Amino acid sequence: MVNIVVIGGGWAGCAAALAAKQAGAQVLLLEKTDMLLGLGNVGGIMRNNGRYTAAEEMINLGAGKLFDITDRAARHTMVEFPGHSHASLYDVTKVEPMVRRLLREMGIEIRLMARAVDVIKKGNSIKGILMADDTVIEGDVFIETTGSTGPMGNCLKYGNGCAMCILRCPSFGPRTSISQRAGVEDILGQRGDECYGAFSGSCKLNKDSLSDEIRERLDRDGVVVLKVPTEDIKMEKLSVKVCQQYAIREYAENVVLLDTGHAKLMTSFYALEDLRKIPGLENARYEDPYSGGKGNSVRYLSMAPRNNSMKVDGLENLLCGGEKSGLFVGHTEAITTGSLAGHNSVRLALGMPLLELPRNLVTGDIIAYANEQIKHKDGLKKRYTFAGAEYFERMKERKMYTIDKKEIERRVSRMDLTDIFNEKLV
Amino acid sequence: MIGRKLECIDAGSEYCPCFLAEANECITCSHLQGREFCDCNWRGVCIYQEYVWAGNRKKEVRSSYPATVMEKRDISQNTVVFRLKVTKTLARQLDSPGAYVFMRDKEKPSFFDVPMSVMAVDVAKGEIQVALQVQGAKTKALAEPEKGIVVRGPYWNGILGQRYLKGVKNGNCLVIARGIGQAPAAKVVAYLIRGGNKVRVIVDPGKVGAVFIGDLIKDLPCEVEELDLNSRQGIKVVNRYLKNENHELVFSGGSDKQHLHIIKEIDKLAQKPFIVVTNNNEICCGEGICGSCSTRIDSGVRVKACKVQLDVRRVIERRILNG
Repeated sequence: MVNIVVIGGGWAGCAAALAAKQAGAQVLLLEKTDMLLGLGNVGGIMRNNGRYTAAEEMINLGAGKLFDITDRAARHTMVEFPGHSHASLYDVTKVEPMVRRLLREMGIEIRLMARAVDVIKKGNSIKGILMADDTVIEGDVFIETTGSTGPMGNCLKYGNGCAMCILRCPSFGPRTSISQRAGVEDILGQRGDECYGAFSGSCKLNKDSLSDEIRERLDRDGVVVLKVPTEDIKMEKLSVKVCQQYAIREYAENVVLLDTGHAKLMTSFYALEDLRKIPGLENARYEDPYSGGKGNSVRYLSMAPRNNSMKVDGLENLLCGGEKSGLFVGHTEAITTGSLAGHNSVRLALGMPLLELPRNLVTGDIIAYANEQIKHKDGLKKRYTFAGAEYFERMKERKMYTIDKKEIERRVSRMDLTDIFNEKLV
Repeated sequence: MIGRKLECIDAGSEYCPCFLAEANECITCSHLQGREFCDCNWRGVCIYQEYVWAGNRKKEVRSSYPATVMEKRDISQNTVVFRLKVTKTLARQLDSPGAYVFMRDKEKPSFFDVPMSVMAVDVAKGEIQVALQVQGAKTKALAEPEKGIVVRGPYWNGILGQRYLKGVKNGNCLVIARGIGQAPAAKVVAYLIRGGNKVRVIVDPGKVGAVFIGDLIKDLPCEVEELDLNSRQGIKVVNRYLKNENHELVFSGGSDKQHLHIIKEIDKLAQKPFIVVTNNNEICCGEGICGSCSTRIDSGVRVKACKVQLDVRRVIERRILNG
């Protein structure tokens, strides 16, 4: 029996837990809040730009269960909005229970409101995870998917203070960097001005607080673009954002709203008084973060050095995924890195060679590319996503971007990797 | 595991952040230790946030209050119990196990402040009771106050292992109190009973020469027994209870030697109860500043015992066995 412990129940952690389970392990998933998916509870954008290619690759690699859920929970498909094509927008009010049910049906043990605070080490391997209630959870291999966002002190020091986001640190306690507690120093992302961290790139408005017309347009088209009054256009705000795929001119000059159950506002934060100047938003109020008029969560403050199999350097039995594993943005990226970490956790426990995804798949390439870039100062200021900015350009240059499902199926099969994540190893 | 995380009793209270935060010596918050990123021992609030919102300053400091002596009761040759009138707010703040105040004769300078466990509180009247055993210059002066008493508080770290005290419910508990260690035990007994626990109390008059918490616990549903814990017979009885009664929690009010004896007996048991003890460190300022309570824990780190909820076992064993 192989015991895998996943710390952090966001998209990456859920993907890791699923992949480890599919490979035959006994899996325990620890989550500090009362909900899985973490920031995935306020996200929702899938399959836009290169994420389409990546999602199809993952499905062909045998890690399609979570994409199946986000597809089924989609409120809109093939949405076009500035800089982005063929996006799917999942309903954030529906997706978490669907994932929770799937994980439980798969036999994954989920412990909610279970916050890891420290590690018990033996030599260079982790023996157990010390929990906030003083209990110790032992395992063979551990996967850290605690993310890189917050907690409060960081959001204050490197942002505008706690904006009361979905992670709810004041209620459930702060994120702990497991790798750092185990003695491996964190890598820190920077933003344009070389300050550490970056703001989360979007907030959510309560849909009922918008005008009937905007709400109807959102329900119908999935997207509404509204002009920002000239005096309120702030180009500089783009440099503080995490999501460089949305750090383009259109997003400073316009307010872009997407329908993900709430109205996703594609900006880090926007003073409520100013927002209400825009026709149709006169009564707008924030749904997430509650204080979206003032700030947003600060991210990329805790990444672990790792290899391309997702194993953390310097520790024998810790892997990582999601934002913990690099300057990645997005659910698709989290599911990709998390799935690989989950699959490799079982290989590691069994003493098998770890899987590296080949660089002629976008999923393998982004993992390797982000790891190369993170070693340079300029690389620390960038973000890596299939959906835009530098990495999407790279995908296009290398002719890797496609939405042709057959072609993607062929690419995976040519590597002899079809359904690899579905292979039982134990 | 890098750097043991310490649990500050004052974290999140109205006196947090304190002087230590201003000095980048905060016990809890990594930012207020001069580090760059969050890595705290979360106590339910963000101390850094509190600090910044307070204008990058500490919050208010504990005040000294003149206290009227309502009653002074001689217990034995060396021990008196004071019933003091304080503010209702202070009384309320002191209404928890482990609470203590600093006291001195009003006419004496502040370095006569001596820490005293609060053994009973009447929140409605704004009264507290403390028991004073005369031992040295400070306690001598306090036993015969010329013009009343000054009280400074509230402080809370008089008992180590408070989280166990607060966590054990509907269990079986043993409270052992000797000499002046009876004073903090009174509130422990009441607290455990409030948590639905079955409590057996063993009291030893010790050097005080009398049992003085009888009135405070006589109406509580607990079994009280008087024993000489230094006699072979007394030790035998305690050991028998420990062995046969399957306790969830054992409280030891008394000397470090007594704590150690109990720890050793507990180590022989199959099911190990939580250990809660009186904090016997030399406490002088209560604010983590003066250094008199500073204790080394196993990792070699110096901690301020007036504020830190130390791991009872480690600190006692280290102090007694290893000097």
